Amino acid sequence: MFKMPPQIIRLVLLTIGIVCAYFTARYFLTPASFGQYGHYRGNALQEIASREPYWAGRKTCDTCHGEIVKKLAKAEHQGLSCETCHGPSKVHVDNPEIKLPKMSYSQCVRCHEASPSRPKWLHQITPNKHYTGQVCSECHVPHQPNEVP
Amino acid sequence: MDATILTNVVDALPQFDGYVYPNERTLHPLWSVLIVVYPYITGLVAGAFIMASLVRVFKLKALEPIYRLALLTALAFMLCATLPLLFHLGHPERCFEIMMTPHFSSPMAMFGFVYAWYLMAVLLLELWFDYRRDFVEWSKTETGLRSLIYRAFTLGVTDLSAPALRLDARMGRIISIVGIPSAFLLHGYVGFIFGSIKANPWWGNVLMPIIFILSAVVSGMALCVFTYMFLCWARRITADMNCLDLMARFLFYALVLDATIEGLDWLHRLYSAEEGIDVLRSLAASKLFYTLLIGQACLGTLVPLLSLGTIQLTGKKISNLNRCRIYFSCTALILMGVLAMRWNVVIGGQLFSKSLRGFMSYKMEFAGHEGWWLSMLLVALPFVILTVFIKYFLARDLPTIENVVPGGVRPTNSPEAQI
Amino acid sequence: MSENITRRGVLRNLAGIVGGILAMPAGRTCKAAVQHGLATSSAPKGYDPTKHKWLMALDVDRCIGCGMCVEACKAENSVPQSNFRTWIERYVITRPKAGSGESRGETFVDSLNGGIAGFKPSLIPKEDILKSFFVPKLCNQCENSPCSQVCPVGATFESPDGVVLVDKNYCIGCGFCIQACPYGCRFFNTTTNTADKCTMCYHRITRGLRPACVEICPSQARIFGDMKNPIADDPLQKFIENNKTQGLKDHLGTKPRVRYAGLDEEVR
Repeated sequence: MFKMPPQIIRLVLLTIGIVCAYFTARYFLTPASFGQYGHYRGNALQEIASREPYWAGRKTCDTCHGEIVKKLAKAEHQGLSCETCHGPSKVHVDNPEIKLPKMSYSQCVRCHEASPSRPKWLHQITPNKHYTGQVCSECHVPHQPNEVP
Repeated sequence: MDATILTNVVDALPQFDGYVYPNERTLHPLWSVLIVVYPYITGLVAGAFIMASLVRVFKLKALEPIYRLALLTALAFMLCATLPLLFHLGHPERCFEIMMTPHFSSPMAMFGFVYAWYLMAVLLLELWFDYRRDFVEWSKTETGLRSLIYRAFTLGVTDLSAPALRLDARMGRIISIVGIPSAFLLHGYVGFIFGSIKANPWWGNVLMPIIFILSAVVSGMALCVFTYMFLCWARRITADMNCLDLMARFLFYALVLDATIEGLDWLHRLYSAEEGIDVLRSLAASKLFYTLLIGQACLGTLVPLLSLGTIQLTGKKISNLNRCRIYFSCTALILMGVLAMRWNVVIGGQLFSKSLRGFMSYKMEFAGHEGWWLSMLLVALPFVILTVFIKYFLARDLPTIENVVPGGVRPTNSPEAQI
Repeated sequence: MSENITRRGVLRNLAGIVGGILAMPAGRTCKAAVQHGLATSSAPKGYDPTKHKWLMALDVDRCIGCGMCVEACKAENSVPQSNFRTWIERYVITRPKAGSGESRGETFVDSLNGGIAGFKPSLIPKEDILKSFFVPKLCNQCENSPCSQVCPVGATFESPDGVVLVDKNYCIGCGFCIQACPYGCRFFNTTTNTADKCTMCYHRITRGLRPACVEICPSQARIFGDMKNPIADDPLQKFIENNKTQGLKDHLGTKPRVRYAGLDEEVR
């Protein structure tokens, strides 16, 4: 009659105990939505998506300033978003009484300053050689650059 | 060319030269000294265990004196292995997630299970089977706290009949056999962590796990020799020269194998000259000159190879005392050299940009959780634990001594064989 | 006393206990599914991630290096000052030495502060420049992403709608994903102590808005769209039809989904 040695019995019981403790811990410590879409917490998608957007976006400006957007569409600046030049506009969207700060000429130079690295399709100027002392908007209409003011 | 200097002046901030990705411009490398220390510690565990398994699996009786010392060394280092990782994590309080939701495609996820398996099913189990008889006897002869500790470790199994002791010996042997691939897994997965990163040409290499395992075996064996000699000196007894010579021989073989594979890695890189070779070559020649060429290659590999090789060739012509001196200094060099190797891999891999166009340079801090001080403490801690183990489990005043031969028959204790 | 306690009985009880414990995870997944259906959140309602597949494309010839995308991203996502979820690189390729027979001279790459304030003029004289261009970089949202492959806990993943995301409430901050990314787009966020990277402005695209960088870009260098729901005259579809495209570091097998047109061989 085979008798299980006492060492083996003791060790087998210990092993079973450890394995059970592991699976119990695993049950309690695994987050509820884990594995919903893949090996991650399904709730993470909602958590990441719940952040508040910062930039309003062109479509939002279009709801009130449709004529300007239509004007933009006629010329080279058609791809621009309003906030690219006018800055973050959420505060104005929430309360249209609050006006956005005035534009400055450095905004134009940021894109249009000549550089050998910039592509040839872009109209570029060297600021200290191009009508120094004057403001860009004296000769150029930002919303429709092919027009003269 | 003038333009080189000009462009470098424009972009040259204190931390980098050439071009590095903006996200690589950090004050410290992401995987810092703590991640250098971690593979060092697990490597010592694996290597010490391999030394111990030479006794059980390959039945080398001459190595009996260091059997228990090697196992206890492995255990002392194993207990500290998780500490560098915990200190390094951004969220150590979430560390349990690695065992609760392990992502099996990640080698790092294997850590929890491999560590638990090796600690419990290999190290502790083998030690238990070897010490069980002593625990039963010591729990009767000792008093107070020590008696309680020994009694607890018997796990209530007090059967000391001949069949039970035979089973102990047999189980010890089986676990040793299982333990060898487990030891390779314990340290090999760390090498795989680096070897699997194809984004980094210094790391992503099929030889990386092999190199890690081999240098781990070398470092562990060197540690066994080193601690054995230190312990003999501390206890004012002469070391068993047969044991030492045999250990040094195996250390030499392991070192030859390790040097060959590491040399092969370099040879292959230089020969196939793939995309990143320019940046890697200047990395090795400039930023890693002292740690790689001097520290790891020269002092850590070449000098021990030549010294130990000379002893192998000349045999007993060199006096015992001189052999001991050579062994002690070589193992110290090897231990430093393997630490340098971990440094070169971990830190070296983060010194150049993944754009392959530039280098970063970092300053080592003394304090702080990525600083010198903490890492030195973490390397010293296992030695403190080992001292405690030796006091409780390898003390000279304990009545029975550890030379258990497979089969459960204890030989008469000869003075030289005692630690 | 021991007649009623048999070995078989004990083993049966033990098996029952073990089986019960092993069945618990299955039970809790069912419970979670029910809870999920009933749960409310502040996220966009009615958004089903399995019904979209977002994609960004980059036209290198249209990038003017103004750096407004970098600024917009930082503002939108509160990116720490020294890190970048997107950035611009400037490549300056010099003329070869006269008579050397080379096709090009040395290449210089720079990205001061990620290009966030644009680029100061290069100190290389204009006559020495053979060609120069800007390349916007960001997370390539790889299909075979090495970053999500190596995450040990499942904190970074590929969402069903094609975006690789980081769950900052689950990430343990080990940094493995940051090491595994070949493109340098991941970083360790010292505020959250987790890994961080471009999320394709997930909180915007799930509400029908465009990512901040796409919105702000003045020259249509960044094109964005939904491959599963193309709109009329979809710029993304037109881009794919009209351009020869490639991904970055294609040879690594990461299958980067972000498409580039006009990439020079020097770009890494």
